[in-house]
Amino acid sequence: MARPEAKLKELKPAELKHEIGARRDLVVTLNRKSEPRLIPYGEDFLFEKLPAGTRVIYPPPPLDALPDPDTAIRYALLHPLNADPLFAQLNPNMRVTIAIDDLSLPLPQMRRPDIRERLLNQVLQTLADYGVDDVHIIIATALHRRMTESEIRRMVGERAFRQFWPDRLYNFDGENRAEIVQMGKTDHGEEVWLSRRAAESDLVLYLNINLVPMDGGHKSVAVGLAPYQSLRHHHNPATLRDSHSYMDPTRSALHSSANRMGRIVNQQLNVFSIETAVNTQMYGGMLDFLQKNEDRFNDWDRLRLKGFRWTLGNLSNDLRRQALHQYAAPYGMTGVWAGETETVHREALARVFQQYAVPVKGQSDILIVGVPYICPYNVNSIMNPVLVQCTGLGYLFNMYRNKPLVRPGGTMIICHPLRDEFHPEHHPSYIEFFHRCLAETTDAPQLAKQYEAEFARNPTYTHMYRYGHAYHGVHPFYMWYWGEPARQHVGRVIAAGCEEPEVAARMGWESADTLAEAIAMATADHGRSATITYLHLPPLVIADVE
Amino acid sequence: MSVYNHSNKRNVRPARGAAFYDLDGTLMGLNLLHGTLFAFTNIGEWTGRVSYVLGLAARLPLLYLAERRDRHLLNVTLFEMFKGISRDRLMTLGEEYCDRVLMGNMYPRAVEMVAANRDAGLDPVLVTGSPDFIVAPLAQRLGIETYAANRLVFSRGLATGRLHNPVMAGEAKAAWCLEYAGANRISLGASWGYADSHYDLPFLAALGHPVAVNPDRRLLAVARSRQWPVVRFDKAAGLRSSGGIGPEAAEGWLERKFNGAARG
Repeated sequence: MARPEAKLKELKPAELKHEIGARRDLVVTLNRKSEPRLIPYGEDFLFEKLPAGTRVIYPPPPLDALPDPDTAIRYALLHPLNADPLFAQLNPNMRVTIAIDDLSLPLPQMRRPDIRERLLNQVLQTLADYGVDDVHIIIATALHRRMTESEIRRMVGERAFRQFWPDRLYNFDGENRAEIVQMGKTDHGEEVWLSRRAAESDLVLYLNINLVPMDGGHKSVAVGLAPYQSLRHHHNPATLRDSHSYMDPTRSALHSSANRMGRIVNQQLNVFSIETAVNTQMYGGMLDFLQKNEDRFNDWDRLRLKGFRWTLGNLSNDLRRQALHQYAAPYGMTGVWAGETETVHREALARVFQQYAVPVKGQSDILIVGVPYICPYNVNSIMNPVLVQCTGLGYLFNMYRNKPLVRPGGTMIICHPLRDEFHPEHHPSYIEFFHRCLAETTDAPQLAKQYEAEFARNPTYTHMYRYGHAYHGVHPFYMWYWGEPARQHVGRVIAAGCEEPEVAARMGWESADTLAEAIAMATADHGRSATITYLHLPPLVIADVE
Repeated sequence: MSVYNHSNKRNVRPARGAAFYDLDGTLMGLNLLHGTLFAFTNIGEWTGRVSYVLGLAARLPLLYLAERRDRHLLNVTLFEMFKGISRDRLMTLGEEYCDRVLMGNMYPRAVEMVAANRDAGLDPVLVTGSPDFIVAPLAQRLGIETYAANRLVFSRGLATGRLHNPVMAGEAKAAWCLEYAGANRISLGASWGYADSHYDLPFLAALGHPVAVNPDRRLLAVARSRQWPVVRFDKAAGLRSSGGIGPEAAEGWLERKFNGAARG
């Protein structure tokens, strides 16, 4: 039986190299006649003319989606990689735990049916067919906020929700001491803790979505179902400084640590991984112009852009935020694999890189990025300054393999209004972190030493994490550490279009009213011949820097 | 000074911060009116009960207006109605109310938080507009050494209907915290405060870490604009005690009528 993905072009390494070669047209050098470029700017977009000579890196076009995702999932379950088929592992007396990614993936949320709904429907049907009743579904939130009932219903679909919510479908709670258990220690001394329910199950299924290569693999179970006791071993300044980059698991100390922990888990548990990959179809329909090269804009695209920006500009802050967060992306599933964790992840990674990788020659002096309204930690919430830092210095800086897009000591320009604005129910500890801890120091090791334990054990934050919808007390520290490799690498960070310069200053950044001013500030440092790269979003791109 | 019972910490190594808690609506799901009704329906002869309960009913509109206007005024108006009740009886009723009603109406997670804060080095302090004859036994049962509560003035063993100054409401709570912190070498900046009503704004604003608990509409708006954490405690099913009060429906009606605003 041919794989259902057969219609999707399967590329061998040589062909892949050729295809990537053909992607060189995704790197565009601007001249004086070039159109202005669209740049994400929080809950708005800038449409700015960039200096001649600026190199703009565009994401590759979306891969074809699988024509029949449900058949592909069935195929994957029946033909797993390096493991017995799911049905062959089942018996009626067994205890099964299904873990699924939380709302941090994919971004923005995808149109219904969500991939997790499709996966769950197939898996639950198989379990039911074989008489397996003792099934729990855990949302692998780790230290993320608990998802709300409506968010869960939307994600898992009606069938799973009606059958399992709330007793057998719930958020992971990393602070419920009775529900976590230590599985052992790695040879690096990392404690491996896990959800007790998963640890005591005969079979653990993890249903994953790979939006970027950072996701999936051992990071799913060993991180998603793990409490602070485990996460602190890799979510720390030293480990993250040694990760080059987060999007290159082979050179990421973060992933190496997660892999060591995951292997300890897999030695003791029967883990059946199901990984999926999605394409870059982030904006479709009336918004598809957001993914186009601006030089190819036609009048209809320009009209829609004007209308879109006019609408955003005339909505109140709350309405604009709600409207943006309610948008659902028409992502297409480009692959699904099931079986042994590492084998499955290798296949998924290859597909993800096939989607995102763009070859780029050399580093530049200045890197411009636009931080959008959303990141993994503010779905249906506010993009606060700490998250802007995490998205700019953490995620966007790390969108590379081999070498960063900006040279050591270079300047990173981050476009965002950067307001002192937080969601008090989702990000309570961020507020104290920003106003108290960052006021004293921005040095990540110092912050870790001085404050991390206090925040991690703070009873109010713990309560809000367990019973409210707050991120764990320690989470802002992780967000700050996330930017550590970039802080070590770049010389300056300038917030362009910054509305509140004191916010930028609090994070050790400079600020500029406009992007043009920010570029002028940067070129004053690097000289008029400074090279500039703009990483074009949306959707997402990973630069293979030669 | 409304505090009459707090340990002298001068010779003890001072804590860096403390956790100050409002009581009604914050640590438990009842309000001042409930305690008053309990007292009135359990005092002396039935004729006395009828008289006090009718008096309370007659004053409800006044209490409502007082609540809308000023928490201090509400306390003064409400405690006026205790005139003539003996100190001994109130003390006994306080113990009884605590055991039969309050302990069953504490938010379980609030109690957990008090314990967790204590473990984290934050000594608990109750700062409430409830009367001391109710707060004292409750604090004892919760293991809280220090509290600030309203105290009735007694004359020849009978309540006069007046309150000792300062009346624990609004800014007086903040002033008390300031004084207490100064006397006990506690840093208010490192202290946490938990309250549910917008009348507690001065109290919360005086502390370094204010937390809005089950906030009313106005406090929620302030909490959001000032970026204060918002915590929700739920009443656990089955824990509610029937208590010595009359029909629960009446209490529910009163609570709805006052929209939880008569919380101390």
